[in-house]
Order: sequence, then C-alpha cells, then structure tokens
Amino acid sequence: MSAGPYGALLDAVRGVRWPASRRILGATLGAHTSQLKGNSSEFSEFRPYRQGDDPRRIDWRLLARSDRAYVRLTTDRATFATGIVVDASASMAFPAATFAKWRLARELAVGLGSVAHSEADPVGLSIASDRPIVLAPRARRSVLIEMIRALDNMTPAGNAVVAPLIASNRAPRIVVITDLLGDAEEIINAARLRVAARGEVVIVHIIAMEELDPPREAMLAVDPEAPETRRILDGALRAEYRDRFSRWVDDVAAKSRAAGVRYIRALTDEPAAHAIRRIAGESVRRS
Amino acid sequence: MVLLHLVAWQRPAAYVLPTTRFIPDQRTVVSRAATRPRDMLLLVLRVLMFLAAATAFARPVLTPSSGSVATIVLLDRSRVVGAAADAVARARTALGAGDKSVLVVFDTSASIIASTALDSIARAPLSNSVGSLSAGLALARRSASELAERVDSVRLVIVSPLVRAELDSASAQLRAKWPGAVGLQRVVAARDSSAKAQVRVVRRALSVEDSSAARSGTTVVHWDSTSTSATSAQGLSAGDEVVVAQFGRTAVSNGGRVVASWADGTTAASETQIGTGCIRNVGVAIPVAGDLALHAPYQRIVRRLTMPCGESTGNVALDSASVRRLVGTGTSAASASALRNSDAPPTPIVKWMLALALLLGVAELFVRAQMKPQVAA
Repeated sequence: MSAGPYGALLDAVRGVRWPASRRILGATLGAHTSQLKGNSSEFSEFRPYRQGDDPRRIDWRLLARSDRAYVRLTTDRATFATGIVVDASASMAFPAATFAKWRLARELAVGLGSVAHSEADPVGLSIASDRPIVLAPRARRSVLIEMIRALDNMTPAGNAVVAPLIASNRAPRIVVITDLLGDAEEIINAARLRVAARGEVVIVHIIAMEELDPPREAMLAVDPEAPETRRILDGALRAEYRDRFSRWVDDVAAKSRAAGVRYIRALTDEPAAHAIRRIAGESVRRS
Repeated sequence: MVLLHLVAWQRPAAYVLPTTRFIPDQRTVVSRAATRPRDMLLLVLRVLMFLAAATAFARPVLTPSSGSVATIVLLDRSRVVGAAADAVARARTALGAGDKSVLVVFDTSASIIASTALDSIARAPLSNSVGSLSAGLALARRSASELAERVDSVRLVIVSPLVRAELDSASAQLRAKWPGAVGLQRVVAARDSSAKAQVRVVRRALSVEDSSAARSGTTVVHWDSTSTSATSAQGLSAGDEVVVAQFGRTAVSNGGRVVASWADGTTAASETQIGTGCIRNVGVAIPVAGDLALHAPYQRIVRRLTMPCGESTGNVALDSASVRRLVGTGTSAASASALRNSDAPPTPIVKWMLALALLLGVAELFVRAQMKPQVAA
C-alpha cells in the first residue's frame, strides 16, 4: 500500500485505538465490545439456565459441582463501521495560499480511516462537494488507498451541503469533518437524528488560525461561498468580528453537545496526528 | 494628484475570508495611505485628467509663428481729406503685400474693406461729412483683437489729415486702448468750403428752384413755421445745446441726418444730402410772442439749424501736442498678447482639452469599475 504524503501521519497514528463509545450491536467478529453475550472465549459471567437457552452453553463442570444448571456467558466483540464525511465546500479552501483547512481535513480523514481500519472496522468516505463522492464502508485492504485517491483528486469549491450525506450514511459511527460555515444547523439536526437512531456522530470543527486572527491590514473581506457578501474589516471592527466569531463557535459547540453529538474543535496549527489521538482518546474516556 | 491617489478613501484590497459573515456590515470604504503607488493605470489617468482640465481652464492659445506682423490701416475718407489719391497711395504702401493686413475706411462711421478694393475706393467720391476718428479707432481695436489670434503683433497706421473736428471726447479713451505706438501718415487737409456755402431759408413749400439750388451746393433750410400746431412746453436739443420753451411741432420726415431732436426722441430737424448741397427740414414752430429769441441757447440752436450742410469745422489741423498723444509711445507694433480680449471666445484648444478631460474621467470610471479587487488570502 502506498500512502504517499500521508506516510508519516499513518506511522504516527499506528497503535491508536478508537473503540466505540458504547456497546455495539454487531455480529461480525471485531474489536468493539458487543451487547451480545455469546460463546466466545472471553468469559463474562454465569447465569442460571432458563428454558430456551442453548444446552450447549451449560457449564457442565459447574453443574457437576453444584447440581445447578448455569449458562456460561462470554463477552462478544464486533466490528464497528465508520463513515467519514468531509466538507469540500469553497470555505475549506482557505487560506488560499496553503489550503490549510482542507489539508487538515484530508489528514484527519485519512488518519481516522487508518485507525478504524486497523481495528478491522469497515471504513467509508463521503465528500460533500458540487459532485458528491460516496465510498461505502469496506473492510478490505485497499479502502484506505481509495480514500486517499478520492481526497487528493478533490478541490474544495462551491456551496456543497453536508447534511444530506450524514442523513444517508448508514454507518453506526459517523465523523463529520467540516468548518460548519455552510449549513451548521442542518448538520447538527442530521446528526441529532443519527444519534437518536443509536448512532455515534463526531463533528470535527475545522478552524483556520487566520479566521480567528485575520491580518491586521484593512481589507475587503469576500465570502468565497457568497461572493456578493463583501465587508470591510479594519482595526475598528476586528474586536467585534472576533467576538462574534467566537460566540458563534461556542454556540455551535453547545448545540452539538445538546444534540448528543461529540464536538471536537481542530485548529489548523494543530498536527493532524495530535488531533486524531485527541478524537480517539476522548472516545476511550467516554467508554 | 499623486498624494490624493495615495491617500484616499477607497476600497482596500479584497481578501477571501470564509467567516466574512461575522464582520459587522458598516462601511464600504476606508482611508488608507499607500506607501507605494498602486493602480498605476488609474494614477496615470487621473494625472492626465487633472492636467487636461487645468490646461483647459488656463485658456491656452495657439501661439502664432514668431515674427508675423499684421497691419491695420485707418484710411480717412471724409471731406476733410484734401488729397484723396495721395491718401489711397499711402494706404496702399502701408498695407504692403501682407495677406494679414486690414483696411479700415472711416468717415462718420467705419467699415473694413478688402485691401484689393483700394482702386475702387480711389475712384469713389469722399464723404460729405467730417470723419470720426473714434469710429475708426474702435473698429481697428476690435479687428486687432481678432488678428491677435493669428499674428505675433499688430501695427496701426492712420492715413488722415487729422483735423481737430475728427476727434471727439471718446477719441482719447479709444486711443488709450491701443497698446503701442500708432503710425501716422498725414495727408493734406481740404479747404473748408462750407463757410462759403450759401444757405437759403424757405418758409413755404419747396420748389424746383430750391431743389436745383441744393444740387448745386446751396443749403436749403425748409423751415415752414406757418403750419404750426398748438404750442406747449417742449425740450429741444441740437448738438450740445438744449432749450426748454413753448414750441410747436410740424411733421419732419425721419430720413436723413438728424440735426435736432425733441425731448421725447422724435426728430425736430433733419437734413438730406442732394448733389453737393442739402435740404434741411426743420419742424420747430417759433413762438409768436415772448422773449425766447433773446436767449443765447435758443440763438445757438437757430444758428446750428441754419448753418451750411455738415458742420463748419474750418478743417483746423490738430495741434502737435494732440498729434504726439495720438501717436503715443512704445513699440510700433502692439503685441498680440496685449491685444487679446480677456472676454474673447475660447480657442478651440480649450474645448478639446475639456473634452479630453471628460474622456479621461469616463475612462477612469470605466477602469475603476473594471478593476477586479486584488484577492488575497
């Protein structure tokens, strides 16, 4: 497998585990704790035999010692499909010189896909652009290469909407990598529905440092997704702009959490591997 | 202009910012001082527009080729000229062969004549009136203003015997308006024959003999006081004399030269030239009684009404001091810049400069509208 420029990132996230946040309902043998109690080798507990139980699960040795029939329960482990939704709207192509937001989004998608794939989980990719790309969750070895190829061939542009890709995604765990500047309300609402359907949704909010702290020189700011929106930003308005933006960021974070969605903020000056460990680590703490 | 270009209220450089919506929508321009000139095309257009407008408002003129001199010749054709042929010859000499010279012929009025018509003028009789140098000077000054747009300097030559009667109170002021010396070609003055002319006062209807006498040089004064209307207080003026008294009026034809007028402007006496004499119609009814005839102003008016045709001047030559004042000092040719009228119509270059400034202004607007903001991010 050739990971190209992602080689260093994949090396950095090797060994990172990204368990599901709760017991999952899955039959395919995997790495995540299942709600099912089966007959795997990992013993969990004994339960008195009830009519209808499979007699083969009766612990005969215990029956011989105690003259009571107990069923041996084990903890099953299952796979956990992960769908990664990446926002490729024009606002992600920022700053124009470096595309730092888009680069971070790609690295997070590839890194999280790699972490999930390393646990034998099926991984899928959806790219929200003018021509959406959807790769269904697969566990095969080439899935990561397909993801890298799709992401590298994509240039952020237009007014892509992310929410429909969340609603149509069947993966029980969905990671939405976006700057939330297009359709934040719709994204949170779609995520709320997925959470209500016992899914797990993580919103990774990409924020560029230049958005937090724009250049100090007076400028005519132009919205890339709505070029008719042009406003002057100079020293007198910077403070109010920063206040409005930070209040909006806090607002979408609060709304996301209120919807049961995990909200994680990722700044463009943060290494992708660090952000991936943060995402996976928080999952572990919650579980 | 460059400073205004550098420090101006303007839209700053555009910057793609996805979070533009969080900027308060207040101003669309900011004041910024650029350390280096930007938008050089705009700067060039603005500077050119400013220069064109400034040039237009400065009212530039096309400087004529250096050394070109025009001549205006004032030729006296009034009766005071004694040697008409000599005057025409001197005028021809003064005009020379220059195609920019102007011939102004004057008697009581002045007019511009083509210099090629000098031969015709020489054959024409002189006017029966005393010339007015003021009329000639006024027209010469106006012609000089027009010539000044085409030549470097203008020379003025007066061909006249210069008798005292040809100057009036306006002559000195008109002469002062000529910014330079005046060339003088004095010709012999005619002997004044009016003093010896006969005057016949006729108090009845005019007869054939009267007309015949007038043609032969007699001044026939038709003063019929028998057909008077009722008298009333009237103001009568003739020349500088004015008298107010009980007068009656009789009808006087409006043709001919007005000799006397009533206070309301109507003609009280007029004369019409016939042959070498004239017939003067006087519509002033003499009061039957009263001492008006003893008053000096009235007597002077009567003398004026009964004097020979035209005014008897005696053709007294202008004294040397007056001639020196008339010739004046300074250069023989007045410079074109001094002759130009400040209220003269603008030269075509002014209109072209204004049009250019307007065009540049439109181009500046177009370029500014078309200029895409420099998008940075």
